[in-house]
Amino acid sequence: MTFWTTLLIIHGLLAVALLGAITHQAVAVWMPARAKAGNFVTRFRAVPSTSYVAAIIVLYVVTFVMGAWIYTQYRFTARLALEQLRFFKTVGVFEMKEHVATIGLIVLPAYWAFWRQPLSEDYVGARKSVTLFLAIIVWANFLIGHIANNARGFGS
Amino acid sequence: MTASSKVAVFTIVFGVAFAAIYVICTEMNLPLVTYHPAIGEVDVLWVPERRGPAMYWYGWMLTSLIGALALAWLASVVPEQWVQRAIFFGCAAAVGYLIFYTVALFIYDRATVELEFLKSRPLAVAAALVAAAGISFFAPSRWQQRLWPGWVWLVPMGALTVLAYYLTPFFTR
Repeated sequence: MTFWTTLLIIHGLLAVALLGAITHQAVAVWMPARAKAGNFVTRFRAVPSTSYVAAIIVLYVVTFVMGAWIYTQYRFTARLALEQLRFFKTVGVFEMKEHVATIGLIVLPAYWAFWRQPLSEDYVGARKSVTLFLAIIVWANFLIGHIANNARGFGS
Repeated sequence: MTASSKVAVFTIVFGVAFAAIYVICTEMNLPLVTYHPAIGEVDVLWVPERRGPAMYWYGWMLTSLIGALALAWLASVVPEQWVQRAIFFGCAAAVGYLIFYTVALFIYDRATVELEFLKSRPLAVAAALVAAAGISFFAPSRWQQRLWPGWVWLVPMGALTVLAYYLTPFFTR
């Protein structure tokens, strides 16, 4: 059990890093700071968006692989307990998490293509949209993961 | 008007095709492999659960991956206009099917006589295909020239909506 708990904690930490990176990039792309960086919020918006691309892709893939691995354990331990406890909504949102994670993964190739250097003027709008879409996916999965873990996570 | 890069076309179509095939795979349960986590065994194609639950998610992804790679490769070798037209037609047909089938079931539920044909999925599909063909034919030509990059988030978002709908039994029992 220690092994799976360790994996789950690493998965959670990677998700936090991914969440920070994609949120930073999405904010910088949608609300770029026009004035010189001053307070915290302005500095948050002033980061160079392109520098996050590789990190986001690697973090997403590694987090996804770890999540897919932990899922095997969840399926015949935590989920069975959740069903016996009639926590069907929790099971349902976790089912949604697997779909959301898959959809995020398949958008990554296009995300990479739109952010390739030199940045193409043709894909300015697509870059913004796909980055926001990916940010929403990461946030949704992070929150769902939290809910599922709070219901029947490590230590329970 | 310059053409989109082959890399962009490949990746956009990959995302669109994967999302569409993935929805079909989950709805019709078409996994390439079945994993049995309790005993750590893998079977080819769909197999019922034995000694513990069966997991089809990995299999759905593999089925979708193969289909999406094939379609993305095909899209990168045919003219871009064809790809744009195909996706436009597919999306119009998908939306049309949802509208026709929903309206048909709505009428069926409220009709005072038995209208069994309204429950027919093939009929809704046929109507959607005809409507999509009409919309595609009359759509402005500038919509059909280049592959719209927005498909890569719009189609997956639609796929997520459909997938969420399939999961409503978890929230209504």
